[in-house]
Amino acid sequence: MSSIMYDSYTIFWRELKRYKKSRSGVLIRLIQPAIWIIVIGNTFSGTQPLIQSVGFDGEYIEFMAPGVIILTAIFTSIFGGVNTLWDRRYGFMNKALTSPISRSSIAIGKMSAISLIAALQASLILGIALAIGVTFPNPIMIAPIMAIVILFSLGFSGISVMVAATAKSQETFWGIINFLGMPLFMLSPALFPLELLPDWLATIAKLNPVTYTVLFVREMMTGVSEGGVSIFLSLGIVSIFVIVMVGLASYVFTREVNKPF
Amino acid sequence: MYSVETRSLVKSFKDVTAVNDVSFYVEQGEIFGFLGPNGAGKSTTMMILTTLLKPTSGQALINGYDVSINPKDVRENIGYVQQESTVDEYLTGRENLILQAKLNHIPKNQIDSRIDEVLELIELTEKQNEPVVTYSGGMRKRLDIAGGLLHRPKVLFLDEPTVGLDIQTRRKIWEYIKKIHDEFEMTIFLTTHYMEEADQLCDRIGIIDGGKIQVIDSPQNMKNSMGNEVISIILNDEKQTREFIDYISKISNVKNVKSDGVKITVFVSSGTEVLPKIFEFSSSNGIKINSISLTQPTLDDVFISYTGHEIRDDDTKFNRRREHAKMKRLRS
Repeated sequence: MSSIMYDSYTIFWRELKRYKKSRSGVLIRLIQPAIWIIVIGNTFSGTQPLIQSVGFDGEYIEFMAPGVIILTAIFTSIFGGVNTLWDRRYGFMNKALTSPISRSSIAIGKMSAISLIAALQASLILGIALAIGVTFPNPIMIAPIMAIVILFSLGFSGISVMVAATAKSQETFWGIINFLGMPLFMLSPALFPLELLPDWLATIAKLNPVTYTVLFVREMMTGVSEGGVSIFLSLGIVSIFVIVMVGLASYVFTREVNKPF
Repeated sequence: MYSVETRSLVKSFKDVTAVNDVSFYVEQGEIFGFLGPNGAGKSTTMMILTTLLKPTSGQALINGYDVSINPKDVRENIGYVQQESTVDEYLTGRENLILQAKLNHIPKNQIDSRIDEVLELIELTEKQNEPVVTYSGGMRKRLDIAGGLLHRPKVLFLDEPTVGLDIQTRRKIWEYIKKIHDEFEMTIFLTTHYMEEADQLCDRIGIIDGGKIQVIDSPQNMKNSMGNEVISIILNDEKQTREFIDYISKISNVKNVKSDGVKITVFVSSGTEVLPKIFEFSSSNGIKINSISLTQPTLDDVFISYTGHEIRDDDTKFNRRREHAKMKRLRS
């Protein structure tokens, strides 16, 4: 067990080193969520009465800021596994596979690094939100917010690593990831309250782990609970999602990398 | 116990048998080379030995551990330097080695001293804190090799260690490999399609072609067994090759004749006696010879005598593939 931790940390260390050296990427990845929060946040500011009808008293932008933070986490983490494909093509994977470390520690190291990076990106968006006037009832709430973002991203990085290990090409990877990412974001209360969604959409949204992460973060940021879902229920559902994804990803990764690339 | 041993190793993919009934052993401390053209099954064999591929049948043992049954023990005993450079470009040389050390469970308190030692050996101490992206091809290869031997494996696998490097750099890499071998007394298993490389480095060579081992021996013995001299003839007209060979094989002192298109290679024990007969026959039968030479046998000739074709056959195709891969990388 301690060896899995040590080995995962080795991979984690390598992934973070690589991330740190690609600084331009950090900013580029912030552009899209920044546009979301500034453009959509202001475009839809007229929907304030709708938001207020379900119990929020702030501006629309305050309602959707948690959604954009989660958007950042979703996309940073679901894209994050792509370097698995590079690693397999350019030999790093074979180097790791012929060393004594276990296969699952490679997957776990990658996932932990991706989720930390996703959380860093999300925290930068949180900073932008604060800068454009979104307020916080209590600054201490930032701790549970970051914690659930890390947890949630760990689950999503599992999806990414799994798809990357299975896909043999970039094209397949991006095809599957784009197919998954946007719908998972849209089918959640990230931009619109759950109560105002048509029944069938609300039902689908309730099966989506993104929903519970958004609800959790929104309650932490605005103090308003939504749709009768308590933060503990949200936390529980997200935790189960993460445990399942990490387990599944380790299993699938181990199985796939043992096949010739 | 042998460092490396295979027994009737077979690896089949969907429609090809890449490794076909391969059996050989490598003694401890030996430098053993697989020599063959691309697609001969060298890299596939190496991937089985390094636990990356499972054999279809047969057995492969590293220091007595079966690659299929105890892959973890095998991994603890090997270092593997791949054909393509696998160092992380954006990390520094030293960071790459730290990563390698951790992957191979080198005790924390030894990591620094081990890295200093190999950096010294491959003469990269001064560049160690610069990102690998600034390194030349030869320096990257040295770093790759350093990573493979950092944990002092019992067996070091080198897959085409000098492919794509210029000739001076190649010679330099050979020196490093010899130095490593002397210093750490490790068994080295390498694959190559360069004759000179096999000749320079290896104690013994296995010639592999079409997934099968054709012969295993020391480079010197192989050359000796060829006969004392080699006559290489290039004809003007391929249609005359058959007729010419039929005649040449009947000449006394001719040990073996191989042909490849207009090129005929004749292995003889006494060239000075055979040459006049060849000239006589060609002029009386109207066979035009474009060139003819009499030389000492080289490993090239050994290869031809066992496989019937030159090792460079696949080289052009191979280079195109490499170029393609390189372009792909540059574009991304």
